[in-house]
Amino acid sequence: MSTKLWFLIHHSLKKKLKNKWFIIANILLLILVVGIINIDSIISFFGGEFNETQEVYVIDETNEIYPYFETNLNNTTTLLGMEKETKIERLEKTEEEAIETIKDSSKIIVLLEADPENYLSAKVTSNQYIDSVFYQMIVQALSETKQQIALERTDIDIEEMNRIMSPINIERVILDEQKNSQEENMSIVMGTVFPTIILPFFILVIFLIQMIGAEINEEKSSRSMEIIISNVSPKTHFFSKIIASNLFVIIQGILVFLYGALGLFLRSFQGNSSFTVVSDTIGELWNSVVSSSFADKLGYIIPLAIILMLLSFLAYSLVAGILASMTVSLEDYQQIQTPILLICLVGYYLAIMAGMFEGSTFIKILGFVPFLSCLLAPALLILGDMTILEVMIAIGILALFDGFVIKYGLKIYKIGILNYSTDKMWQKIMKAARTKE
Amino acid sequence: MLKVENIVKKYGDVTAVDHLSFEVDKGEIFGLLGENGAGKTTTFRIIMGLLDATEGKVTLDGKKIDYNVTDKIGFVTEERSLMGKMTVEEQIIFYGALKGMSEEKSLRELDYWLEKFQIQDYKKRKIKELSKGNQQKIQFIQAVMNHPKLLILDEPFTGLDPINVELLKEAIYDLQKEGASIIFSSHQMEHIETFCEKLVILVKGHPILEGYVKDIKKAYRKKNILIEGIKDTKKLEKIEGVLSVTKNQNTYEVKIADEKVTDEVFKTIRNDKITKFVVEEPSLNEIFIAKVGEKNEH
Repeated sequence: MSTKLWFLIHHSLKKKLKNKWFIIANILLLILVVGIINIDSIISFFGGEFNETQEVYVIDETNEIYPYFETNLNNTTTLLGMEKETKIERLEKTEEEAIETIKDSSKIIVLLEADPENYLSAKVTSNQYIDSVFYQMIVQALSETKQQIALERTDIDIEEMNRIMSPINIERVILDEQKNSQEENMSIVMGTVFPTIILPFFILVIFLIQMIGAEINEEKSSRSMEIIISNVSPKTHFFSKIIASNLFVIIQGILVFLYGALGLFLRSFQGNSSFTVVSDTIGELWNSVVSSSFADKLGYIIPLAIILMLLSFLAYSLVAGILASMTVSLEDYQQIQTPILLICLVGYYLAIMAGMFEGSTFIKILGFVPFLSCLLAPALLILGDMTILEVMIAIGILALFDGFVIKYGLKIYKIGILNYSTDKMWQKIMKAARTKE
Repeated sequence: MLKVENIVKKYGDVTAVDHLSFEVDKGEIFGLLGENGAGKTTTFRIIMGLLDATEGKVTLDGKKIDYNVTDKIGFVTEERSLMGKMTVEEQIIFYGALKGMSEEKSLRELDYWLEKFQIQDYKKRKIKELSKGNQQKIQFIQAVMNHPKLLILDEPFTGLDPINVELLKEAIYDLQKEGASIIFSSHQMEHIETFCEKLVILVKGHPILEGYVKDIKKAYRKKNILIEGIKDTKKLEKIEGVLSVTKNQNTYEVKIADEKVTDEVFKTIRNDKITKFVVEEPSLNEIFIAKVGEKNEH
């Protein structure tokens, strides 16, 4: 019988992997993942405008404010990570002449005028809209310039003025001994890194549920099931579907991981990127990960998360297979699978929002519930709301659940796959589950 | 030898098969007759182990039919159990593997049968691209490729033209010569009549007639007399025991309630210029309709 089981697994897996849509989807996925990681290089390759320098002409009618403004604008663009290089130049022209100079270009004119009541007023002129972020930088630089001028005109000495202008020293103290300030950065991790990591798992679960349903329904609707089941037992058939589908999603998951690694590998050849937002963002995220102590936890989070994910793949596939056996068409299955998809979706959102429910007992309990635990328990572990032992208990509950579903689900499957009527379906399911071997 | 002993299948209050028993020897072709919903497919499913009987048992060569013996059973279902997206070759390799056959052996058998059915060109074609008749041939091939000890054919001639029916019949006879026990169901009585030595007629799951075809016909008292050359049929209709007189071209068919009426019929028309007087046994179709009608009246 094991020969037939392996034949069915091999056949099912080969069919999926050789499917042209699998190949097309993976080519697109490869392009997408590698492309997103290297988006700056791609845009630059096609002549993107990220290399362009943003030129700012300043007309200083006061003859004293320009140096302050130049310094402040340079500081602001550097501090806030302006992706374009900024060039500031003082223009010894009238406003009308300057406007003529910037005609048909993206250059900006900043006119600085003395204001007897408000120290400083300014006028910003451009041909087109200005990037909103850059406009805010100009506004901030002008405000800082105004404050400097105002302070200079008071009797405050230079040292005092420097103290006023210098950033405030903040000492962060958290009284709860179990928490440390580093973990406050975890919210950044939970908000950005974690959804990215669990998104492929969420997509693969959806993929798994739909794949099993489609395959079983294809065999049922073509009535091939009668020939198959007259040669192999429902148990063998059921496990062949479960094993093949789980192997398939694991292979797909590994491929996505490899595409990501390839994207990063190619990125390493780029040197200094002209479009620094992506690399800066990745760098900032990495710093957040490191400073949040998340990296230290990876040693046990990853194995626990992998075990939870594998057991959850199994749970989702078992339930999907059993429900598919009771349906007679793909349309029926589409309806019956909706609750499982919704449960998975709830798990996904609870996991990415777990930080907002800090300390909630209800959310912690949900972390033990099969189907949700795979997404929620690792999130709560990262946040420190669940201990390693509690996650291991969640794994144990999930393993027991899988065993329970196999025991009773097989009885339903045996009845279901040769059932071609949806009348009293739930009654049939309950009756089948109660039958003795 | 297949032995079906007193099987009963109940779905709640509904009895799908009601105390059915029969035996099929090696090299014997057995017919299972019945209206739609009479319990034929349920009986086949019980024999194949796809359904558990509520009562009774089924054995093949004295052993319960389980997954240890299914490799030696061939099954043609009423609906075409084929996967449309597969090619003929892929489908046969797939079903062959489920019967424990190697890919090489399955392909060898496929080539043999495709040649026999004169459809060698369809080997690489997808099932869904084939006509219904050719799909039925492929279904037949999957059932016989393992040279089964027991072959179950649920409406095997559906969708086939007369030429292909003959091809399939010939193949079934070949398997009979190999010693296979064959169970056969069909709505077309002429197939059963020419094909089966033994049969059982099911009405609402209950066997109402069973045994050898020739014995059943012999035991059936009503006969048909075919006469040519009579002028007046009214005198025939007045005879007690004559059920009907119908004309079919030049031949009159006289249905009689009992063989004993034959003499009276002959005496009545012997002075006419009779060119033909043949007493025939009724067709299986007549027996079937009469028996099913009787049962339904009760």
